[in-house]
Amino acid sequence: MGQTALVSASQPTVAHEALVADLAAALAPDRVRTGAVELDLYGRDASVLRGSAAVACFPLDTDEVAAAVRIARRHGRPFVARGSGTGLAGGAVPVGDPVVIVTTKMDRILEVDVDERVAWVQPGVVNLDLTRALARHGLHFAPDPSSQQACTIGGNVANNSGGPHCLAYGVTSAHVLAVEVVLPDGEVTVLGGLDPEPPGLDLRGAFVGSEGTLGIATRIAVRLTPDPPAVATLLLDFPTVEAAAETVSGIIADGLLPAALEMMDQPITRAAEEFAHAGYPTDAAAVLLVELDGLPAGLADAVERVGRIGRSHGARTVRVAADDAERALLWKGRKAAFGAVARVAPNYYLHDTVVPRTRLVEVLREVYAIAERHGLAVMNVFHAGDGNLHPLLLFDARTPGVMDRVHAAGEEIVRVSIAAGGVLSGEHGIGLEKRDLMPLLFSPVDLDAQARLREAFDPDGVANPTKVLPAGSRCGDLQSVPEGVWV
Amino acid sequence: MHLGVDDDELATCVSCGLCLPHCPTYRVTGEEALSPRGRVAAMRQVQWEGRPADPSFVRSLATCVQCRGCETACPSGVPFGRLIEPARAALAAGPAPPPWPLRVGLGLLPRHRLLLAASSLLAVAQRLRLLPRGAARRLGLPDRLPVRRPRLRPSGTGEDPTRDVWLFTGCVMDAWMRDVHRDVQRVVEAAGGRVALPGPGAACCGALALHAGLEDDARALAHRTMAALPGEAPILVDSAGCGAALRDYGRLLGTPEAAAFAARVRDVHEWLADRVDRLAAAAGSRGDRAGRPRVAVQDPCHLRHVQRAHGAVRVVLAPFADLVELDDEGLCCGAGGAYAVVEPELAGAVRDRKLAAIARSGAPVVASANPGCALHLAAAGVDVVHPCQVVARALAGAGPVSTPPAAARS
Repeated sequence: MGQTALVSASQPTVAHEALVADLAAALAPDRVRTGAVELDLYGRDASVLRGSAAVACFPLDTDEVAAAVRIARRHGRPFVARGSGTGLAGGAVPVGDPVVIVTTKMDRILEVDVDERVAWVQPGVVNLDLTRALARHGLHFAPDPSSQQACTIGGNVANNSGGPHCLAYGVTSAHVLAVEVVLPDGEVTVLGGLDPEPPGLDLRGAFVGSEGTLGIATRIAVRLTPDPPAVATLLLDFPTVEAAAETVSGIIADGLLPAALEMMDQPITRAAEEFAHAGYPTDAAAVLLVELDGLPAGLADAVERVGRIGRSHGARTVRVAADDAERALLWKGRKAAFGAVARVAPNYYLHDTVVPRTRLVEVLREVYAIAERHGLAVMNVFHAGDGNLHPLLLFDARTPGVMDRVHAAGEEIVRVSIAAGGVLSGEHGIGLEKRDLMPLLFSPVDLDAQARLREAFDPDGVANPTKVLPAGSRCGDLQSVPEGVWV
Repeated sequence: MHLGVDDDELATCVSCGLCLPHCPTYRVTGEEALSPRGRVAAMRQVQWEGRPADPSFVRSLATCVQCRGCETACPSGVPFGRLIEPARAALAAGPAPPPWPLRVGLGLLPRHRLLLAASSLLAVAQRLRLLPRGAARRLGLPDRLPVRRPRLRPSGTGEDPTRDVWLFTGCVMDAWMRDVHRDVQRVVEAAGGRVALPGPGAACCGALALHAGLEDDARALAHRTMAALPGEAPILVDSAGCGAALRDYGRLLGTPEAAAFAARVRDVHEWLADRVDRLAAAAGSRGDRAGRPRVAVQDPCHLRHVQRAHGAVRVVLAPFADLVELDDEGLCCGAGGAYAVVEPELAGAVRDRKLAAIARSGAPVVASANPGCALHLAAAGVDVVHPCQVVARALAGAGPVSTPPAAARS
């Protein structure tokens, strides 16, 4: 049943054995893996894409990462860095039997400077673990993707990850001061610095969000954000999706900048409620989750304003969380929403596009129409304040031909978003998933500029090859469509 | 090979990865193969795609503690326990039979008289320093086995028809920690229960056999246990692992009788929570705030994730102790029945995280409602008591808990 793998793990050839032996000597034999079943696990992430790895290894520090990169190169292999594998665009899916360098054992918080509000961490530190470790200092790491309990800081850097609270606080790039990087030639350098405005070109800015194509981050200096003095979380429920979307625009137009402004439509609200038991109104067409923070004095006023704006657009109820426990419960359902859809269908394909906030309503209508045309169920949960849509197409991969419909619908959603003045990805990255859609947004000149930047870091194309930029981005580019990747 | 896993249930995982941090073996290794998502994907490879069950597959499945923490964390409701149990059984019957010392040990558990005799013999060996502490710990034994055990007697005398609850006594808990049973019985009686004790037929619930993949053995033990606990009376269990197993008999045996039996099973704390006012009254002024022990609550996985009855422990303890919560979201301690014996290295690494959480809590005593957890933590020097022992001491006016039961102390 199910699918048949089109790719097999690398054959145990002499060359492969030599590669494995060199890695084992440089790291440790028990941190180099070649078992077929285990290797297959490193051929996936949280997307529906699948590739194959030649070998997986687990370095513990910068020197070991550099050694692994040099060994891969010496054996003519590309390399791919991987954290927790919670990415949704195939960024960590290995193409072309590379050496997969897994950073999850590099999970130490190296240094915390409470006064300067900076921490140096290894890339395998889990996002939420960092925030928990900082709690006693009244600080946190602001980017909070829905996967924050599982995803790594290294992965956040690679994807320039966002999260609900990035509306007010900015995405990962705004929270990374410096990155120690193993470059594709195995050399180690530091991009950026702790000074407020480091001199020279902002290579740190280029690196954050480069999805492992410019090298591997081995130490990261992250900015720490003070916990807000007071927080209020509101849940508003609406009889129509339009009313909820108009409320979003109304809140921003009123001059408020909520810490987070999230929307869920009815199907996803029901699925999330079944898991979280947060008391979401399952009969509402859409709900808004609004978080406000700041000084206690101003907060009550802001809560009142949001409630008033919501009611003026037809909100049926405005629930204000009474305490931290209720706040946590309201967020639990939102953060687990993607996973909870399996209660409805065994597979989902999650999109991530951004549209201007003012056009949310019309794009949403299109999304529902596209899904209906292709006979697919769709659920919407998204960062409404940013106009960052996350339509989930639901299906059972065991249904013959369903993947074609899913992909066709997905591409139409992207086209509609871009036609409305939006962009390809809000926060999940391009990876493999959106690579071939890049020309929808970027001109040949744009793509060539990006390809040349990449080439400056990685002239031989060995760092996470075939990702992000489509074949032909560079004049004379002969990069072929990756073989062995399938969905 | 077909693992005997239900295809629809195997299909429920969407690979989101939100289970990863809630898996003890992933937590300490960072390895996908040692995570719930990885284990599901590995099972799919073997059952759906025909990939051979290679050593990396066996390791992936064999290292699972079966704590079921992933089930609580999973937004998709993947029934992980129902996936791993048949898969482990398929491995046990095929490429990876349980090691012989484990099979010998498991074979001993239901032979209660033999178990008691062997246990006493080992206890004497310990006293004579013939059994080094390191070797004892490797076998999962307490550092100080009891040579003699208190005698348990049912409430009242003779054939007393007013006995209204059974107390399940089990295997190693009865052999090594019978003083816990004695204290549990005192607490149940103080709450108004009249305790009946089962015969030797109820000497093993079969949980460890099931976890090792020996399903047939587990079914035979389930039949025997059911026969030893007849009637309609509730069956109170003071071992979280046994309670979870007894409650699963309906699924294991698939008969209406087994389902009816399972419905009678209650963790002793659930039963006591409904009668906590009576307990507090029985303690009278002895339950006063002054001199109450500070106790950290360790949630056994099979209480928290499987029976979901960990709240009751807090209700029962609250009148008698100042409770301290651990800050590790109920992550497993690494005991896992026989797991600590079979996978000592991983079990130790998982335990180190729990020890750090206990140290952060600052509580001098830890209350654990499962003998496996208690032994595993005590072997690392933690002062562990059963929650009912805290209550029993308050009832007896013995003051703060400061020493663990002899059987569990380090």
